[in-house]
Amino acid sequence: MVDFFQSLTLIEMTAYALQALLIMIAFAIVIHKNNGTIVILIASFSLVTASLYVINNAPDVAIAEVAIGSAIIPLIYVISISRQREFIVLDKAMDDFIIHDNTFTGVGYILLKRFSDFYHLELNITNDPMYYKDTVSRDQVLTEQTNVDLIITKDPQKEDGYVLKGKASNILMSKLEEMVKDYDNIRLIKFKDRDLGE
Amino acid sequence: MNPILTFIVILIGFYGLATSNNIIKSVFSVTIIESGVILLFLNLGNLEGGAIPILNDQVSYIVDPLPQALMITTIVIGSTVTALALMLCIKIFHHYGTVEWKEVLGRKDVKS
Repeated sequence: MVDFFQSLTLIEMTAYALQALLIMIAFAIVIHKNNGTIVILIASFSLVTASLYVINNAPDVAIAEVAIGSAIIPLIYVISISRQREFIVLDKAMDDFIIHDNTFTGVGYILLKRFSDFYHLELNITNDPMYYKDTVSRDQVLTEQTNVDLIITKDPQKEDGYVLKGKASNILMSKLEEMVKDYDNIRLIKFKDRDLGE
Repeated sequence: MNPILTFIVILIGFYGLATSNNIIKSVFSVTIIESGVILLFLNLGNLEGGAIPILNDQVSYIVDPLPQALMITTIVIGSTVTALALMLCIKIFHHYGTVEWKEVLGRKDVKS
């Protein structure tokens, strides 16, 4: 064993040490639970692999790995993890359901805020006029083709009532349905998945 | 450089693919496997006593430049594959409301 270590040159010893470090970082990435920590670990993983490429007489590959592997890939991961738990709500009603007295104190906003805090979601309420220039029947198409999770409209049958519309495949919709059961003037419509063949 | 130690990195990546609950964790594992494969290829092309493949008057014996040229392509394509997989992950979250494998596959069978 001692003879084996004495026969190694400095570069070979560095290569073995870096490979041991690589295995440890890879195992840490696999067993970690927090996705934010893993982004830092994957950047350091790319740096260690880049130095191993240089030891393997491939400096051109190492340059590409440093530029792409430890700069662009962590950036992509950070963007996607921050946008991962986003709950997009489209407010078509545009009255005091969300904004009351110029502050976020409407009944609907308190309901949605409590819901998104409970399931660790990031609430994003939008009322982009690009979305709702069409008629009511387009709501299902809107939920299918865009990232909108929930659409708020006024209830045509009831005075001062509101309708929340979402996809039936979304597991958050059935959780929201239990939450709005107590409110008399709010009801929830779930659009079922349509097959393209129908 | 020992190819067996590199192969252990690839096996750790497959272990992560098999055991991860989160979809983003699976994408991380794919990145690990890709790096291990690149190391294995470069180790195959690294001939004994060869110099860096930049030719001039003194250098006559170089390492194999073909795996290096291929592996640059692999790095670039791997980054785009990662970006595409994460985009599909965000789409899955907006359709099913979760990014856990078990819950997503369970919702798929229910057919609402």
